[in-house]
Amino acid sequence: MPKDEDLIRLIEGECTAEEAAAIQRWVSADPERAALLRQLRTVWRLTGGSPQRWNLDAARKRLQSAGAGVDDAEPLPNAGVRAPGPARRWYLSRWPMRAAAAVFALAAGLYWAARMSPEYPDREYTTAPGQRAELSLRDGSRVLLSVDTRLRVPRDFGEATRTVELSGQAYFVVRHDAQRPFLVQTRRGVAEDLGTAFDVRAYDHESFVQVVVAEGAVALQAARAREAGPARLTLYARDRGVIDAGGTVRRSPLVTVDDYVAWTRGALVFHNAPVDSVVAELRRWYDVDLRVETASLGTEPITITFTMESAGEAIAALAKVLDAEIARSNGVVRLAPRRSRVRSQEK
Amino acid sequence: MKRFVGSPFSAAPSPAFDCDRAWEQALEQHYAALCDFAVSMLGSADVAADLVHDLFLHLWRTRRLGDASRFGRPYLFVATRNRALKYLRHQRVAQGWIERTLLEEPVSPETPDARCERQDLERAVDQAIAELPPRCREIFLLRRREELSYSEIAERAGISLNTVKSQIWRAALLLREKLREHLD
Repeated sequence: MPKDEDLIRLIEGECTAEEAAAIQRWVSADPERAALLRQLRTVWRLTGGSPQRWNLDAARKRLQSAGAGVDDAEPLPNAGVRAPGPARRWYLSRWPMRAAAAVFALAAGLYWAARMSPEYPDREYTTAPGQRAELSLRDGSRVLLSVDTRLRVPRDFGEATRTVELSGQAYFVVRHDAQRPFLVQTRRGVAEDLGTAFDVRAYDHESFVQVVVAEGAVALQAARAREAGPARLTLYARDRGVIDAGGTVRRSPLVTVDDYVAWTRGALVFHNAPVDSVVAELRRWYDVDLRVETASLGTEPITITFTMESAGEAIAALAKVLDAEIARSNGVVRLAPRRSRVRSQEK
Repeated sequence: MKRFVGSPFSAAPSPAFDCDRAWEQALEQHYAALCDFAVSMLGSADVAADLVHDLFLHLWRTRRLGDASRFGRPYLFVATRNRALKYLRHQRVAQGWIERTLLEEPVSPETPDARCERQDLERAVDQAIAELPPRCREIFLLRRREELSYSEIAERAGISLNTVKSQIWRAALLLREKLREHLD
């Protein structure tokens, strides 16, 4: 027969399953005991924290051995800016890297401001085609740089605002701070963080800026306001916002965020994309001089996913979709119609 | 338009960035609170940890459904409660207890108002603890503030396990008396 003292063990979770069942039956039989339990539980809640020392690490290990969770999950760095150097892991195990890029040197131009600021000089981080990098900014925000991308962090980052300048594509996970807004400046406009995670794409040679919000909200502001259409829009999770060549900001809701940020986990996803844009992307990703005879292969949009195998495999996959033949010479890879196909067309 | 049939690679697509991170974050942020919640219904830390483990395993296996709300706090608590109820019914625990469990509320994050009220309450709690008999207070604080186990307390204070338990119980009853007006 349980006694009053056992209620503490029930509150603290110190019972076995059978003991708990017995005490629960005993409590249910008498409203006074139920009231006592409720009061004691409140005393416990008021006088300290959790009644148990839950072990999150052990729980995670147990889940991993049951097949759940990311093996290489590790706490993300969140303090201090490191000198440019080998980047930290970010799902690095899935990163396909050509031998040259395996060095993973963050080609970082480091230029010092004329004025003295020994602690935080201007910093510029660049990735070459075929390279990616992750970095932590000194406010704890994280940035994943895609290929062929330049991110400049001015010396006064974090003083009044947290402004960075982007050319290329990057995924930002921002520590929101309303006092010091986080701004991503691009040639065509500014994306202001209103909380959490988003992807910005702003390659100089493309005529648009694209922002896709994974979590939270982002304000997208065109560099020059135009009369047609709004110059500023607030985007929320699953919104895609675009500043077009004319400076107009547009929003498409409920996009498949995963497709746009697939690159962060080493995949490229195209739905009905022009062949030219697929080719341009592969050039950047694999640092390969790839040329496709779109005149003879057709310009119909294609749907294809690259899961980041070697450059050779990616090109082979594209060739298969286009029904093309691969020819290599002098470091140039050409995709042309298969000769058998040409013959059959001639017949 | 050209039809693209099948993946050019045999490899399955890598797990989605979004849902993996969401799962990790949910585990990190809510694991302990969900275990506490489960203990309040189940009374056994082992059973509670198993239940929360099963919940996260299920969430992992179904994470690609792409429903972000399933990693949010409200869903996680409802799911934990439902699993606890299922367990209790299966164990044929008394109906009265199951009905109580249905009413169990997780401790929710505080509003500023509540925090202000709590400051008054905290003063009352500190006062009540200060008024406990010294020996009783010392042992109670080792348990609730230092979070030592009963046997660790016994060792540190050089007393028997039973003395620890009886002193904790004594503190519990005294605090209940002193704080009675704040408890219901």
